[in-house]
Amino acid sequence: MNTFEANMMGLAAKAPTLAHAIREAQGGALAVISARSGRPTATAGGRSIHSAYDPWREAEAWAKAQAEACHAGEVLIVLGVGLLYHVETLRTLVPRETTIGVVVPDMSELHDACRARALDGWIGDVEWLWGSMERIAESVGKTGRPLRILTYAPAAALHTAIHADLDRLIRRQIAAHAGGQLHVAVVGPIYGGSLPIAHYAVAALEQLGHRVTWIDHSVHHTSYDVMTGLKEPRHRMTMQSRLADLLGQLTIARIAEDPPDVVLALAQAPMTLPLLEHMRRKNFVTAMWFVENYRHLTYWQQVAAGYDHWFVIQQQPCIDALRYAGAKQVSYLPMAAEPSIHRPLHLTPEEQTMLGADVAFVGAGYANRRDLLPRLVTDEWGFKLWGNEWEGAASLAGVLQRAGARIDTETCVKVFNGTKVNLNLHSWTGAGLDPDADFVNPRTFELAACGAFQIVDNRALMPDVFSNEQIVTFGRPEDLVPHVRAWLRDDSGRKEIAEAARQRVLAEHTYVHRMRQLLVQIGLSRPDRVGTVLQGERQAGALREKSASVPELIPMLAPFDGRERVELKDVAARVRARGTTAVLSREDLLVLMLDEYRMETRDLL
Amino acid sequence: MTARRAWYRMPHEELPPRALVVQLARLGDLMQSLPAIAALQAQPQIAAVDVLCAAPLASLASCMRGVDRALSWDVLRWHAWAERWVRDPQTVAVEIEAYLKTVMPMPKPYEIAYNLNQHRRAIVAATLVSERVVGPGERGPLSMELPPWADYLRHVARDRGANRVHLADVFCGLCGIMPPGSVPRLRIPTIDLPADLSSIGKGRGLWVAIAVGAGEGERCVPPVVWRDWIRAFLDANGEGHVILIGSHTDRERAGAIQDGLSSLCLGRIWDCTGRTTLMETAALLARCGWVVGSDTGPLHLGAAVGTRAMGFYFARARVHETGPYGQGHWTWQAQSQEERPTAVDVAKIERWPIVESVRLLVEGNATACDGWRLWQSALDRFGVYQVAEDAGSDSGEPREDVWRRVHRPLQLKARTHEYV
Repeated sequence: MNTFEANMMGLAAKAPTLAHAIREAQGGALAVISARSGRPTATAGGRSIHSAYDPWREAEAWAKAQAEACHAGEVLIVLGVGLLYHVETLRTLVPRETTIGVVVPDMSELHDACRARALDGWIGDVEWLWGSMERIAESVGKTGRPLRILTYAPAAALHTAIHADLDRLIRRQIAAHAGGQLHVAVVGPIYGGSLPIAHYAVAALEQLGHRVTWIDHSVHHTSYDVMTGLKEPRHRMTMQSRLADLLGQLTIARIAEDPPDVVLALAQAPMTLPLLEHMRRKNFVTAMWFVENYRHLTYWQQVAAGYDHWFVIQQQPCIDALRYAGAKQVSYLPMAAEPSIHRPLHLTPEEQTMLGADVAFVGAGYANRRDLLPRLVTDEWGFKLWGNEWEGAASLAGVLQRAGARIDTETCVKVFNGTKVNLNLHSWTGAGLDPDADFVNPRTFELAACGAFQIVDNRALMPDVFSNEQIVTFGRPEDLVPHVRAWLRDDSGRKEIAEAARQRVLAEHTYVHRMRQLLVQIGLSRPDRVGTVLQGERQAGALREKSASVPELIPMLAPFDGRERVELKDVAARVRARGTTAVLSREDLLVLMLDEYRMETRDLL
Repeated sequence: MTARRAWYRMPHEELPPRALVVQLARLGDLMQSLPAIAALQAQPQIAAVDVLCAAPLASLASCMRGVDRALSWDVLRWHAWAERWVRDPQTVAVEIEAYLKTVMPMPKPYEIAYNLNQHRRAIVAATLVSERVVGPGERGPLSMELPPWADYLRHVARDRGANRVHLADVFCGLCGIMPPGSVPRLRIPTIDLPADLSSIGKGRGLWVAIAVGAGEGERCVPPVVWRDWIRAFLDANGEGHVILIGSHTDRERAGAIQDGLSSLCLGRIWDCTGRTTLMETAALLARCGWVVGSDTGPLHLGAAVGTRAMGFYFARARVHETGPYGQGHWTWQAQSQEERPTAVDVAKIERWPIVESVRLLVEGNATACDGWRLWQSALDRFGVYQVAEDAGSDSGEPREDVWRRVHRPLQLKARTHEYV
């Protein structure tokens, strides 16, 4: 019997449909050749899928590194087929009861592997995930166990788009079933544009049912401002740096008192690299949502390696730059809007008079805006300019509202609602339009959520978040005025586009969506910690199921509601609450003992 | 599920034949437990004493006179179980039971556990493995009420000026017994040392072991002080030798000490930091004439193997409470210049008694040093006490008064046992 037939026999007993599908496939996806070691190896499109020297040793090294990170009870999903050396060695290294699923995007590839190598010893010991990606994601999501996705890059690279699609579908599955409550500490900046974002993140996390500790450093802005008044730059920098260090220590003290599952920092949060390393030693999971332009604010270089997870609003080359600087996990996470604040409003006639306009712009006086906005000062329409830092812009003095005072969010939302055409021009320090225009600013989503019509400068990442039917963009400064003129004349067109954009925001671009995506991403990379909580593994009902063979534990979990998150400290607290004269069982004592050892590690300061 | 008994003591109850002493703290505390273990073992009604201690110290505990079995408490495993419990309570429960079966030699719990630690982990451990606890936890594992000696210890930690009862003797009190009246020793079996250390202690000359580190940073003698001390000692004693003792975390400190010494000195210094097991360290200490250090585990280990000890006590270390246990040990206690005695921070010590301590060690002559007071240990029926070398007054509370006030005397009559 040849190798292929032996493999088919080994598979047919467990998965006859799959065996049939492999037989029916044509093969030829891989070019199989002999490696130096004598074993078969493969290439595809001129690229090596396995080592040309010793594919087995290469696979062993990969599998060993993966196995070390795995935990009992996880389901391992392997991306990358090739000749399956990596799967075979992984199977030998992880416990037999660990489920390994191999995603098969192209049956021809599996056909080639079955022809090239004898797999019958173990082919029935893995789950073969084939068919539509939707079906695969659904079956994977339903396991109810922590998932760990392992990528064998050389083979996975043959199907990058399919794997990305599967990844997205799995996350959606997990997010849909996520019911467990996490404790997230959100660390905000002292001041700046990411401060309101931090507030929105806190609200979104709470809306998702998570417990949030909001570490608000904006209360120290006054002190920081006082230091700004120091004349000597060296003194100013020293004092501000020391304040930032102190606030970092304050963050540590707060999380020491009530340890969170995840520490989420927003851009410019006072978190130094030594602090982050200290947190890592104490086993905290840290994440940064860097909601700034990485080209302009470059301090990320100093702390890249400090955070476990980075979330950025730009794609390449930002992601590569962060990885090069030491960041381990970097994911794209665009901005969003908060529908409870950024919403359609009806203005009173007085408000409409005061705040409304044909054309308006809200923002600070960056160079490119000073360059472009004077074109909008015309008798053809009424133009209002709102915001600060417009000193010296003489040509705009006549349209600048409230003498260039900063306006609050509520007023801003009214301006959006009262304006027929809102101009949304991303800031840049040069004239004209930003040549590296990639990320989409929060204003885009906020205007859309208000149901307000906007014209935005072209951004490379705009198509990811809004279609042409949902947003109007311009790519050259000279196009701005014709666009404004045309859209001012088209009331129904403006309403249609604005409404489409608003629906898109509500469906996909709120901070609730972003926080859910963020937590799912962290949960996928930390299935044993955050992932299990998100999937409800830490809820009392799940724990009761897991304790089925230790009935003495059931009474200890009885006081908790089935969906209530239960930690060791909660069970121990109930034991202690029974009072000093209570008669304690052996299980009670063991829980107390474990909790004492749990507490002993929290000596952060 | 096993219900626990209510926490009370029956009158006329016989002491059990096998007792367990729970001592889960560090090396120094384990050494300070020797007198209590010896005193318990001397009770005619107790056939054997077992000790529950931290796993790395179990080999030493088994060398304690009076200890029948040393039970190993694996702290790392408990931490790991605490981390895993919520993810997999079933498996953790099974693993813990299997572990406890290997740790506990008997199928039934001990009838009495003498707990020498105040922290909740030890209280719960003692409760877990025994029917009844004597010492902290005897009113129940959740009770905040402390037995008299435990309450005294807590009071001493808060207000330290007048206490003169040594910690080791308090441990005896916690067990309901008087101090043994003699100095129990560790019996270190003959072991093979690494070849390059085997000549330590042999040949002519005075061998001095220096414990270069300390469990707490505030109790570490600065390397430059050790360096000056070693230089002074080797100059004063042409045939003297020094061995540096410590764990792997003290290696850098030992290196810093040797960096400033001449190559002539280095030939008479053995750096054993981070190179020896605890048993090997004990064996090395036993070969030395003196062990010198701050209030740290190796100093007490040295005293326990019969080596004369000289301590430098400062920060929160106090000779009356934790000086080396036994007779004839010397301790320099840093003195605060303030009216009310307070701990002297190492940074505030202007002068160290280097010349004076070397002279005392080499010539046996005691001389004063500004900022320090010299004490020598002695022994009576209440345990160890300190005698000031300057024969000055001591304002501490007499130990007999403390024992009379605090102790719950466990007077054992022949063949009937009554708690008085």
